[in-house]
Amino acid sequence: MRLFVSGLRKLATRMATLLTFGLLAGLLVMIDLAVATTRGAGSNGGGNPLALVTFPGAYDLMLSFLFGLGGLFAVIYGAAIAGSEWTWGTLKTAVVRGESRSRYLLATFAAIALVLAVGLLITFVIGVAAAAIGSTIAGISLDGIGDTAMLGTLPEHFARGWVAITATAALGFAVATLARSQLAGIGVGIAFYFGETFAGIFLPDVVRFLPFHLSQAAVGGGEGFGAPPDPGALSTTTALVLVTAWLIGSLVVAAGFSERAEITG
Amino acid sequence: MSGPSLALATHALRKSYGSRLALDGLELSVPTGVVYGFLGPNGAGKTTTMRVLTGLIHADGGAMELLGRPFTGRDRQRLFDVGALVETPAFYPYLSGRANLRALAASGARVPATRIDEVLDVVGLRERSGDKVSRYSLGMKQRLGIAGALLNDPALLLLDEPANGLDPAGIVAMRETLRHLASIGKTVFISSHLLAEVQQMADVVGIIAAGRLVREGSMQELLASEGIVRVRVQPEEVPAAAAALTRLTDPDRVTASVMGPGWISVQITPDRSSEVNRALAQANIYAAEVSGGNDLEELFLTLTGGEASTDRDGRFAKIDPSRSGPSASEVLS
Repeated sequence: MRLFVSGLRKLATRMATLLTFGLLAGLLVMIDLAVATTRGAGSNGGGNPLALVTFPGAYDLMLSFLFGLGGLFAVIYGAAIAGSEWTWGTLKTAVVRGESRSRYLLATFAAIALVLAVGLLITFVIGVAAAAIGSTIAGISLDGIGDTAMLGTLPEHFARGWVAITATAALGFAVATLARSQLAGIGVGIAFYFGETFAGIFLPDVVRFLPFHLSQAAVGGGEGFGAPPDPGALSTTTALVLVTAWLIGSLVVAAGFSERAEITG
Repeated sequence: MSGPSLALATHALRKSYGSRLALDGLELSVPTGVVYGFLGPNGAGKTTTMRVLTGLIHADGGAMELLGRPFTGRDRQRLFDVGALVETPAFYPYLSGRANLRALAASGARVPATRIDEVLDVVGLRERSGDKVSRYSLGMKQRLGIAGALLNDPALLLLDEPANGLDPAGIVAMRETLRHLASIGKTVFISSHLLAEVQQMADVVGIIAAGRLVREGSMQELLASEGIVRVRVQPEEVPAAAAALTRLTDPDRVTASVMGPGWISVQITPDRSSEVNRALAQANIYAAEVSGGNDLEELFLTLTGGEASTDRDGRFAKIDPSRSGPSASEVLS
């Protein structure tokens, strides 16, 4: 518990945390306001941009955005935090104090998971506010903002998305632990994200079992921001189970590696 | 109840990095309640020893004891009574010094909250403890590292080059702190390149070369038994003086000194300085200076095979590391 609380304290004031959620929220606000001020002009038929600021559908699109692009941000965030423990040598200082390596890393990751939940929630609230402002600017009614049916689905949708995002963060965390480097972890995490997207063109049957596609499937995603629905995607329940397996597997690999690693840096 | 007589011991400790042997059967015996100076040239295995002792890496063979009990490197709780600073101090640069210590205190043995202020006082960082570590100088980071090592009030303190980056006042303060810790029964194990500093601070010295212990003993005894007498003669008289001095001891123990041109080192106990003077006088050579050397640096270079010594013109010259030093005939003739 001491390590977990300490991990939270460290993450709360960290630039990587502020940057990750600041950027995500900033993008969301910019998109909403841009769509609203242009009244959706410039759309070339890929969808209705004003849907982004039209409630209650805006809720769904916003979550799709958060849990879609959020996956890339999460893998980078997880890699940055785990990698810095090696790059800065702070894992070493804990180990020489007799701390368990795996306990230390898992407590650090638990703190990351909580920060992701809180950060995504705050980003979501900011997004809702921006969409509401956008609605007003675009002259769209805000009646749907209190749609009880939609609001009722949000907690479950959010929870599934959080698990999916946490799994991608775990992937970055594990990669950076294996690489023992912040930069390498971030680089590999980004490469994995885009590599998986690219591979989806040629190997759809394989790629749907990989973490970023699973994360999208777990939140019933693939429909946000003009992306076409993925007919081959797994059911949300299956995807959630598999994404949880990725999450646990990543953490087991990270913890196991850290226990055996020789810390020479 | 009295503690163990040895705070730290290693037996036949071995460690390789690939094909390179870093520790080759290292035997250390560190008595309780002393400042132990752990010396060796670059690549001798000092940092590897520190890493093994703190569980950062695993030994290939041999055994260790920490505070009288076996330590395998995996039974991490043995380190709860040990404080360590291995290589460079490591911190979160975006956190303050105090926040870093708080984060550190969350790992390993439990530490009372008041202890953070205590250790900040010990290293003289309390006033700057609210500053971000990224704004600290190297010396301040080093002091914070020492504070971190002291957090759990350890019975055994392992410090790797603790004087790195410290200004002279900081070095003096550190020396006093470490001497104080030894005086209250703590054991301080210091790896250092600063031989003069170790000479002033350490009670016991261990010197390693190529992963093996080449000498261990109390500083006083070591310097007395392995003492150096240095003489300065006219540079052109060096060969004759060296020949005269080889009558006192083995020729291999008469070497060019790192002191400069005309200086010769003779490995004999300092109480035989007058014999050195007499031997030179009998050869009609009159020493400009005679120094009854208890010089750790000279001793270190001799025992470790020396990375460098001076040639007859006082220039640094490479010496075969497999030898204990250049013989008079090789260097001085």
